[in-house]
Amino acid sequence: MSNDVVLELRNLTMQFGGVKALSEVNLKVNKGEICALIGPNGAGKTTVFNVVTGVYAPTKGEVIFNGVSLKGKNKHKITKIGIARTFQNVRLFGEMTALENIMTATDVHNKSGLIGSMFTLPRSRREEKASLSKAHEILEFIGIGHRADQLAKNLPYGDQRRLEIARALGTSPQIVLLDEPAAGFNPFEKEELGALIVRIRDRGYTVLLIEHDMSLIMGISDRVAVLDFGEKIADDLPSLVQNNPKVIEAYLGVPADES
Amino acid sequence: MDFSVLTDQFASLTFDGIALGFIYVLIALGYTMVYGVLRLINFANSEVFMLGSFATILVSTKIFNYTIESDSITGFKLVYTMLAMLLGSMIVSGLVSVLIEIVAYRRLRSRTSNRLTSLISAIGVSIVLAESVRIATSSAPMGAPRLLDKAILATVWGADIRIDTLLVIIFAIMLLITLDLFVNKSRLGKGIRAVSMDYDTSRLMGININKVISTTFLIGGLGTGAAAFFYITVYEMTRFSIGFELGLAAFTAAVLGGIGNIRGAFAGGIALGLIEMYSSAVFGTQWKSITAFVILVLVLLFKPNGIFGESLQQARV
Amino acid sequence: MLNFNLRDWGAGLWEKANKWQRNVFALAVIAGVFALPLLEKTFFNTPSTPFVMILFYPIGIYVVMALGLNVVVGKSGMLDLGYVAFYAVGAYTAGILGTRTSLNIWEILPIGIAFAMLSGAILGASVLRLRGDYLAIVTLGFGEIIRITALNSSAIGGANGITNIPNPPTTFGLKFDLDNQVHFYWAILIMIIILIVAIRILSVRRPGRAWESIRQDEDVAELMGVNTYKYKMWAFVFGAAVGGAAGVLFASKAMFISPNMFTYNTSILVLAFVVFGGMGNIWGVILGATLLAYLPERIRFISDARLLIFGLVLIIMMNLRPDGLLPRKKREKIGTKKAVKL
Repeated sequence: MSNDVVLELRNLTMQFGGVKALSEVNLKVNKGEICALIGPNGAGKTTVFNVVTGVYAPTKGEVIFNGVSLKGKNKHKITKIGIARTFQNVRLFGEMTALENIMTATDVHNKSGLIGSMFTLPRSRREEKASLSKAHEILEFIGIGHRADQLAKNLPYGDQRRLEIARALGTSPQIVLLDEPAAGFNPFEKEELGALIVRIRDRGYTVLLIEHDMSLIMGISDRVAVLDFGEKIADDLPSLVQNNPKVIEAYLGVPADES
Repeated sequence: MDFSVLTDQFASLTFDGIALGFIYVLIALGYTMVYGVLRLINFANSEVFMLGSFATILVSTKIFNYTIESDSITGFKLVYTMLAMLLGSMIVSGLVSVLIEIVAYRRLRSRTSNRLTSLISAIGVSIVLAESVRIATSSAPMGAPRLLDKAILATVWGADIRIDTLLVIIFAIMLLITLDLFVNKSRLGKGIRAVSMDYDTSRLMGININKVISTTFLIGGLGTGAAAFFYITVYEMTRFSIGFELGLAAFTAAVLGGIGNIRGAFAGGIALGLIEMYSSAVFGTQWKSITAFVILVLVLLFKPNGIFGESLQQARV
Repeated sequence: MLNFNLRDWGAGLWEKANKWQRNVFALAVIAGVFALPLLEKTFFNTPSTPFVMILFYPIGIYVVMALGLNVVVGKSGMLDLGYVAFYAVGAYTAGILGTRTSLNIWEILPIGIAFAMLSGAILGASVLRLRGDYLAIVTLGFGEIIRITALNSSAIGGANGITNIPNPPTTFGLKFDLDNQVHFYWAILIMIIILIVAIRILSVRRPGRAWESIRQDEDVAELMGVNTYKYKMWAFVFGAAVGGAAGVLFASKAMFISPNMFTYNTSILVLAFVVFGGMGNIWGVILGATLLAYLPERIRFISDARLLIFGLVLIIMMNLRPDGLLPRKKREKIGTKKAVKL
């Protein structure tokens, strides 16, 4: 884990009409890190993802990726630059197979367009082959290689969540944003997922992770940032955050020493 | 392009444009209110208008036995005849509108069908209604008896204030005030506003969705029916294809003002009525029908929220 | 309702066949289709117009247009209600260039396609930031703008249209005139075959995936790196090219065109074909267009109520079987490897 900052949120503020979803959030994610973003419901965690991936333009502040500001960039450009994500509710392309879901993502770095594809020019054929084998490889890595030709909507829930991660990896990102990847998992599956996320990090990806399951977070995160009502209230090693009174108050609503 | 007509008759064109505008407002309400609660373009509203226009004429010819050659009437007879015609078109349009919702849209609400499906169903209804009338009338237009003597009441700034156009404006304003009161003060009106703001929460809060939606369609239909009556009063003629011609213009008015927004429908309707009058003076009447389309395209390109409305482009993640 | 899946049954058969059987089958089908005019002597004959003419128009022309619109509506999920505009642009290009220059129709064809593609690009640029319903209405307006402009432009015939558009020249020894209607039919068959191949190829490669992902979840597609604007534009332009090509061919056979041949009704007709046949499914769309174009010619008394019936078709299909005759649903066994090889 180096000290290169891959992703930086600088004074990020996001206001929707009268609601301030994010308020002067500062966060740095280092290369090769597993950084967790936690906080009570409505704290603004998914909003952070939405701002980083370009769904919303921040009201104030900016997002810096590898030293370059993402201001004004299109969503698909941002993905191409190296940021990929999954979603709180599974949002796969249900009527496409698992392979096709991933290939849609791997296409982002391909150059051939309509003309090349229609006339089956050599570059298009090459890129198709490469996309296909890459998609297979990612599926194997994630552990659902046997689902390659099945329709995404027919997969069991756990595999769907894994496929979403696989699809994000298909874009060859530098950083992967996982939005509650363990939602709906039983403890055993959560452990497996934790191991998967570590494997992902070990392959060279940086991970920014939103989750509610504390044991999962504490087990694999290098660092934990805590949001509450749009503000960052803590940003530290997992063990320190766990005992931070402000964090406890945010979750339980009562200061720790007044029970 | 001829600007002389525009300048010579500016006051006249303005007055007529406002009257036409009010007609558009009333039809636009049918689109905007349904869009507000269902997020769906009520394509078939144009045929609701068309049927209302036929109903209005048929009331005067079949129930009161007037013909195109009849002389105009006055006094109490005039009032109750015209009221009957107005009621006739409002009732027919209101009923048709509610029926359309039940036949074409209701089933598709419960399914996880996408918007494309509902929209295509709406188009189907529109086609079926227009074609049925076309076959029934053999494509022939139907003329209305002129019961109201179109006397010129006064001349203001060079504009002839005719009694029929004035009546349109007055009654339209009254209808709109009533509607505004209903939506803002009544319980059902609150329900409509709630559903248009948040469909799912409204259901959870126990609002009777079917009732709200049917009421919305009913109100839209009543307004559109009134518009049909006003239209016939001024223009005295209808045919099966009139829905298509006017419906698109009215929809443009709704978008111009901000779709889903009732006050927007008002602003958009008046604005469009004026623009159409002015541009047909300048460019010639044969281009009148595409004025609305061009405006629509321009609005959607440059100010998609319309004057007051919601954004059409929110990504949903 | 109607649970028998025609598509899966056919696809199952195809899968079990080996390469020889498939090629023989395909050749047999192609030969059979070229020989369809022979059906004139049978029950299938259309009473008031020669069968071979019907095969060209409305059947052939509408199949072409349905295939084009299918890419826009069925694959990409964008409801274009003004598709007739591209057809009109192609036809008028043929009409104007055919009567005022010495170019023959085969030379005019690429020009007509180019103009149609240009209109598609203009339309696309206008509507592509919009979603669903708005896109539909604006495209409808576009179609009307084209028609009314043609109607009001005396330079291109105004309400009277354009007459004496030339037939294609004799090609490969085949004459294209009133006595040789079947050659027109074969020409459009060739166009259809080319289209089928092109669309199949596109479907299993990047454009097809991009279009599908846009149709299913446009917001997520964009976040997965799909340049949705570009591909939606391509869908429009491709569809427009197809419509334009159909228009050119139509004009050179009909020899006369006028604005009232290019109304909103035609756009709705083609939409009905796509919806009825199965949005997104090439074979469904071909089947749907063929059936719906053929039946009113065969059963004359429903001809006047044709549009009414199509309206009913739209309502009924959307409520009962929105997937159409041959649903688009993918079958699971087909591996992408096989598909790429075509």
